[in-house]
Amino acid sequence: MTAPRRLRKELSDLQDNTLKAFRDIKADDDNLLRWTGLIVPDNPPYNKGAFRIEINFPAEYPFKPPKINFKTRIYHPNIDEKGQVCLPIISTENWKPATRTDQVVQALVDLINDPEPEHPLRAELAEEFLKDRKKFVKNAEDYTKKHSEKRPAD
Amino acid sequence: MSGGGGGEEEQHLPGVSSASGSAAGTAGGRATPEMKRSAVRSLIQRYFHQLQSGCGNAHCSNANCASSGKVAPMTPNEVAARALQLFSQDAQLCEPSTSAASSPQDVDMLSPNDSSSSSSGSSTSTITSASTTTTTSRQSQSTPAAVVVAVASSNPDQSTPQLDLGGVEPSSGDSEPCTPTLPPVQSLDANGLMALYEQCRAADSYDRICHAIGDVFSSVDRLSKSFIRSAEPAASSSLQELLANPPEALNKEQLRTLEGEHDKDEDSTQQVEEGEATDDGEAIACAGPEAETEAEPEEEDEDVPMAQPTETTAEDDPPQSSDTQVDLPGLRRVQRLLFGCQTRAITDKLTSSVIQLAEWVHYMRPDWEKVIHCLVICFDLATNTNNSVVDMDYLDRVLPKLCHAAASMPVPAQARLARIWAAHCSDQLQALVAACQQQITLQVLLDEESMRENGSIISVTKVLKIVFYANILASELERPSCRVPLEDRTETAATSASGSGIVEDDLFAYNSVLQPHMPKFAEDQLEKALQVSAIDCRRPLVPLEEFYNEALSENIQMHHDYLSYKTLAMESEIGSGQTNYFSFMLYAFILTPATKVDALYYDSRMRMYSERYTSLYSMLNNFGQEGQDGTPRPDLKLTVRRDQLINDALIGLELVAMSNPKDLKKQLVVEFVGEQGIDEGGVSKEFFQLIVEEIFNPAFGMFIQQEETNNMWFNATPFENGAQFTLIGIIIGLAIYNNVILAVNFPMVVYRKLMGYCGTFADLNDWSPALYKSLKSMVDYQGQDMEEVFDQTFKISYSNVFGELVEHELVPNGKEVLVGQHNKQLFVNLYSDFLLNTNIQQQFNAFRKGFEMVTDESPLKLLFRPEEIEMLVCGSREFDFVELENSTEYEGGYTDETQIIQDFWSIVHAMPNESKRKLLEFTTGSARVPVGGLKCLRLLITRHGPDSDRLPTSHTCFNVLLLPEYSSREKLEERLMKAINYSKGFGML
Repeated sequence: MTAPRRLRKELSDLQDNTLKAFRDIKADDDNLLRWTGLIVPDNPPYNKGAFRIEINFPAEYPFKPPKINFKTRIYHPNIDEKGQVCLPIISTENWKPATRTDQVVQALVDLINDPEPEHPLRAELAEEFLKDRKKFVKNAEDYTKKHSEKRPAD
Repeated sequence: MSGGGGGEEEQHLPGVSSASGSAAGTAGGRATPEMKRSAVRSLIQRYFHQLQSGCGNAHCSNANCASSGKVAPMTPNEVAARALQLFSQDAQLCEPSTSAASSPQDVDMLSPNDSSSSSSGSSTSTITSASTTTTTSRQSQSTPAAVVVAVASSNPDQSTPQLDLGGVEPSSGDSEPCTPTLPPVQSLDANGLMALYEQCRAADSYDRICHAIGDVFSSVDRLSKSFIRSAEPAASSSLQELLANPPEALNKEQLRTLEGEHDKDEDSTQQVEEGEATDDGEAIACAGPEAETEAEPEEEDEDVPMAQPTETTAEDDPPQSSDTQVDLPGLRRVQRLLFGCQTRAITDKLTSSVIQLAEWVHYMRPDWEKVIHCLVICFDLATNTNNSVVDMDYLDRVLPKLCHAAASMPVPAQARLARIWAAHCSDQLQALVAACQQQITLQVLLDEESMRENGSIISVTKVLKIVFYANILASELERPSCRVPLEDRTETAATSASGSGIVEDDLFAYNSVLQPHMPKFAEDQLEKALQVSAIDCRRPLVPLEEFYNEALSENIQMHHDYLSYKTLAMESEIGSGQTNYFSFMLYAFILTPATKVDALYYDSRMRMYSERYTSLYSMLNNFGQEGQDGTPRPDLKLTVRRDQLINDALIGLELVAMSNPKDLKKQLVVEFVGEQGIDEGGVSKEFFQLIVEEIFNPAFGMFIQQEETNNMWFNATPFENGAQFTLIGIIIGLAIYNNVILAVNFPMVVYRKLMGYCGTFADLNDWSPALYKSLKSMVDYQGQDMEEVFDQTFKISYSNVFGELVEHELVPNGKEVLVGQHNKQLFVNLYSDFLLNTNIQQQFNAFRKGFEMVTDESPLKLLFRPEEIEMLVCGSREFDFVELENSTEYEGGYTDETQIIQDFWSIVHAMPNESKRKLLEFTTGSARVPVGGLKCLRLLITRHGPDSDRLPTSHTCFNVLLLPEYSSREKLEERLMKAINYSKGFGML
């Protein structure tokens, strides 16, 4: 199976030293450019579940940034209904080839834990987040319970 | 000579011509158009001065007079434009009051011809004839004296003794106010001149400094010894100290001592003696121009410290050197002082002296190394302005003369001047361009009919070319150059290709012209001497658009220029050089793309008609009278069926390309089967549109669309053979040849490659901005841990048209070679070369071959830079924001009827194109219009909360614009403009 050498190394590094907030990392059997993993946030309202994401690496990796997609639905101002997320660290404008996937994942986890309503993908959630935090937290918790995956045991 | 035709002057004996230019012109011996022109000129000058300095009447009520206080502050360029405007409107002109005594004189000084329209004609002619005498006396030193003295000199007795005395007596007969016994000043330096100025100011008499300036600035010899950069700053400062406490008034002995000091300071004690020897030597050496060229270099070694020990390169090969001895910082201090002072006498003197010097250079063609020194000084004085009246004056009167002198230099000397400007005056280039453009524009407006014969326009254009190349040299050049001939690479690749069993198709019998699109005679000698080309420079210091002259381009009458060009081409073919023909096509940088398109149009029409006429001469005679005789037009006729468009077209073209490629240069006539339309251009336009749509449809398999940029790129794993690409190349060529604009989105590198250059790393920026940025940040990485951080080998991967991952080793066994500090640049170059050249080599070569079958004889490369070719093929990139508005969707409470949305669009539609481009970049991340137009963007505008001070933001990933509901239209506009103008750099979430 072909893949950029660096990608293979990053995968094995991540699998060896598991991050607490990013587990269950796997590459597709037939495509090393597509990974999946489980985001396990610490902060409420998302600490009641886990969220499956998919990372797609371009053939030109690391000279082009990966893309991230949420497979699990999530109630979050920065992630839209289709699971798309706009993460500055992997935008074409900001991408640096020296950036590693663990840094990208860390940035994503930070964004989940602390939503950024100033730059939302879902404006209505952002407004709720700012205006009526209680309501937002309740909605998000309900949504998490309903849609998210089970958190790993430990 | 403002109105004198270049050809006319060259035919005269140098000395005679100069004298008649000033003396006979005053006497009114010119033809009527000349008189008219000079009258126009002086009127414009009066408007100019009225705008700049006013009439002097404190109660003036003329809104276009500076004295009335109603004239807004303007740059000299604006003033000049306004003056032209006033002239054409026949606006009110104040009577100059007595307090503005200087203005009539300075109108006269502009050109002797103007005295006819001047109120103080008599006083001017005195000055003019005096300076004529001086000019003559200088000339008589170096031309066959008898001719000049007999014909031109008004006072031969006066000039002859001066000649005998050489450097001892002042040769400047026009320094009337000076005591005639003052010794001639042999050289000046910045500190000396400034000190002299201070003394003169203290004494309230500027005779002495005028005298010194007159002496030095009118003589190549003396000026070339002046403003020499000091090797020992300490010594010069001690001189400054000495001069800091000057005596009350300087007597001539002291002055002489002072000069001695300068000379010792700059050079050696020999200087004074040598100086005299030089003047003697000059008299001998200049007996004839030929003798002079032999004698001068020897002198130069002795008395001009051109090559100091440290500058061995300068000594070895002066034309290659960019070194100059001119003390530019000092010179600029002097310039500020002289032009800043209130005493017109000094600048007037300077102006007349430099004019004298420039004319002398033009006719005498002395030692170019000295002349270059002088030109560097004089041009620097001309451009380093602080926009006051006097320097404008200097600029306006001196610049044409200086350009005349500079343009008469041989190519190596021009190259040397370009190098010096690039190395030392790069900050002045913009001003120099502006000054030249202003001169050209002025001359064009005065002389619309005979631009190609106008000596001033021609010489300023020639100087602009020197500035053009200086500008390139001063910019960051790309190395390795993309000018490595593609053929060289093709050779090596072809061998390797045949080794691997792939044989290039050879369906079409076509022998490529050695250097297509560039006629041999039109090769630029200056470019050759400098070994640099505009193509080497991605971001020129002065944008190349600033070299376009709109006025000239508008008035050029391209068919005349094209005829001159063809005549030049013919002459070079039959080997008779030396004519007075001038074609701006050889100075393509000055022409706007629209005008160059005209040139190309005439060229292809000519070629189309050349089928009809056997000789070029009869073709020239019949040019423009198309279709008058009954002979059938030999066309390139394509008959196509609409439902089989691409097959019919390709088969039709294939037949022509195989049997007789020359037929491709005939005029294209398209006929759709079963339709009655006669092709007068419209049918072939439709044909091109339809066929381009099909060819570039990714489903057709020849090209792929790059996701990131929407650009079309060659499919590296095509289904078709190379012949298909050749045919597509033919179609692109035909579109240019038949003046049709195509809707193709190629990255710029395609046009560069079509012109024969290679794709390089810099081209990736346009090809894939993301990849370019990443590679750039890799190259910029300075850490020694590069191997660990990047973990990148010389094996790269990309995905092919099927989305499969393909790997490629940039060097043999590249998977074992890690990229580190020592080889990162190599990696990037090889990577770019692979993507842009090798990976699509077969496809591209076939494509280019087709393109050249149509265009190889056209002066495409002579006229156009790749970015201009792109414009030629695709037209300018206009943004259809109405289309964008109609396709935009809204969210978060906005609809297309919300007030702020309506305000938004009315603001956007009123924006200039540049701002629209920025807005597009701000919201979508790309300033390019996607294939299919802006409607394909699917912009989404989302309400981002109620009124606040937040700026609008965007998600370039999904073309989303987040717009708070601002309280007013004004606020929306202000916030929006701020956001798009400061959007560089991605704000943190």
